[in-house]
Amino acid sequence: MGRYIIRRLLQAIPLLFFVSIGMFALIHLLPGGPEAVLFNPHLTAAGRAALRARLGLDDPVPIQYLKWISSALTGNFGFSFVTNEPVITILGRRFPPTLELFASALVLALILAIVIGVVSAVRQGTLTDYALTTISYFGIAMPIFLLGVFAQDIFAVQLHWLPASGTATLGYSFSPVEAFFDHFEHLLLPMLVLAASFIAGWNRYMRSSMIETVKQDYMRTARAKGVGTVSMLFRHALRNAVIPLITVVALDFGAVAGGATITEGVFAWPGMGSLFLDSLDRRDYPVLLAMLMLSAAFVIAFNLIADILYGVMDPRIRYS
Amino acid sequence: MDISERINTTPTREDELDSFLELTPALVQKRRSQGRIILDRFLRNKAAIVGAVFLIVLTIFCFLGPWLTGHNNPNAIDVTNAAASFAGPSLAHPFGTDDVGRDELARVMAGGQVSLLVGLTSMLMAIFIGVTLGAIAGYYGGIVDNLLMRFTDVVLSVPLYLLLFVLSASFSDGTPRSVIILIAVFGWMYAARLVRGEFLALKEREFVLAARTIGVRDFRMMFRHMLPNAIGPIVVNATLLVSTNIILESVLSYFGFGIKPPGASWGNLVSTGQGLVDVDPKLVFIPGLLIFFTVLSLNLVGDGLRDALDPYMTER
Repeated sequence: MGRYIIRRLLQAIPLLFFVSIGMFALIHLLPGGPEAVLFNPHLTAAGRAALRARLGLDDPVPIQYLKWISSALTGNFGFSFVTNEPVITILGRRFPPTLELFASALVLALILAIVIGVVSAVRQGTLTDYALTTISYFGIAMPIFLLGVFAQDIFAVQLHWLPASGTATLGYSFSPVEAFFDHFEHLLLPMLVLAASFIAGWNRYMRSSMIETVKQDYMRTARAKGVGTVSMLFRHALRNAVIPLITVVALDFGAVAGGATITEGVFAWPGMGSLFLDSLDRRDYPVLLAMLMLSAAFVIAFNLIADILYGVMDPRIRYS
Repeated sequence: MDISERINTTPTREDELDSFLELTPALVQKRRSQGRIILDRFLRNKAAIVGAVFLIVLTIFCFLGPWLTGHNNPNAIDVTNAAASFAGPSLAHPFGTDDVGRDELARVMAGGQVSLLVGLTSMLMAIFIGVTLGAIAGYYGGIVDNLLMRFTDVVLSVPLYLLLFVLSASFSDGTPRSVIILIAVFGWMYAARLVRGEFLALKEREFVLAARTIGVRDFRMMFRHMLPNAIGPIVVNATLLVSTNIILESVLSYFGFGIKPPGASWGNLVSTGQGLVDVDPKLVFIPGLLIFFTVLSLNLVGDGLRDALDPYMTER
């Protein structure tokens, strides 16, 4: 196992290296750079040249890449073109809201997906199963931005139950307790939308692996020695049935660094996803590059974690 | 008795079998061609039929609708009526009008043409790229396979939406053509992996060896002999890819990176409608529900095809 992990980590290095070249080239070689968006149109030619030089845009692209990669390797991702803050500071500020949204949606989705999956597996072929299957089918077919827009329109705009966007009500000074509930109200809608998109896919995995598991011999043995239904399902069957789901969840969690771009965009949630969209509008190259690299690293890392988890939870699987 | 006569009168095993089958009609199963078996299996799946019928109706609605109903100008503003904005359904405007008094029916149909075309053509391009790369990687193996698959890994390790947003921000000119190319350029990876896997298995089969011994060249071997045997999974992947691409187009257009107004697509109709939802919810819900039902139908048809083409494939 140890050697397997080391080999996979070593494989990740060239992968990330090529991703970095690819992303750098994509961002720098395409038309419509920061000059068109960021620079004051009334700038004189001299001022324009000075600004270009200060942002490091004068060097040939390969030289720019070498400068960028050598400082990135020491952990310095440069400074934002727009705010002049270190990129790391910006990412540090934007990551917690994304993590909050993602983690809460993930926990909620995991619980619900397991319960729904188990129920429809146990009641396989009944009306309950068909109803749950139909609902999750609808969920899979519903693009997340559409679900977000619909939820926002219905629960915020029409019914006024929940706030439509942001993280807090502006212009009020709340006591800490009120502020907490205010924040929670803002979290609820994007969290539910994100969770719904996860549940739709996950409960299918749960259902089919649960159906496989309850057919096993040891389940009959458990029943024969008098284990109650609930204990049998949740203590005996679930432990084995949940393994395929965990790997899928780990893979989905790999998207966390890119943020739930779409959900965050729809609900103006100030996390990594909306940072990405903002930086893109302003052609803030250092921020964009750092985010692309970070999200690629997360995807690769969670691919590895998913494989390791699989081996840990199912000792029959051996990696070499 | 002449020997030839004896041969002619002796019942062959086939004849015996046929007469046996006639006596026991319950056991008779008509011989069907492979295509017929697949079609029958597909037709037995009610959900897939509903999806297929919806898609046909929708295509007629979007492409023939403007011509049949005369609602063929999505950008015309009704100037005969001063209060034409946000009008409810009427005989002149069955879906009402939008914020500047354009006929919503005409816009939805024009938007549907764009969304369906983008989904379909970018699927064809992506499948073409994916099948070619996957076939080459799986057929030649070795260093070619390694290089192509590592390249696929690189493209797959960056979240798709981030890549598409970056590229369309600088590269797309807001026309359907540029959106199609962008989506296709990043939609081939799963098809490539799929075809590579199929080819790795297929090239060990006897018929490939047989074809090689009669001197079939590489290109012909890949695309005439092996590819038809891998067509099932490709068709399923292609169907689902259309739905993915329609979603991608609508997300890009929703965030302003896809089809630019005044051009209509379902995605940017939802986007403009969202800002006006407290005035007129239909501007969001009509295009939104059309996206939803289209994607749902494509998934139903895709799953139906999967079951029809490969009865052993277990439900995911």
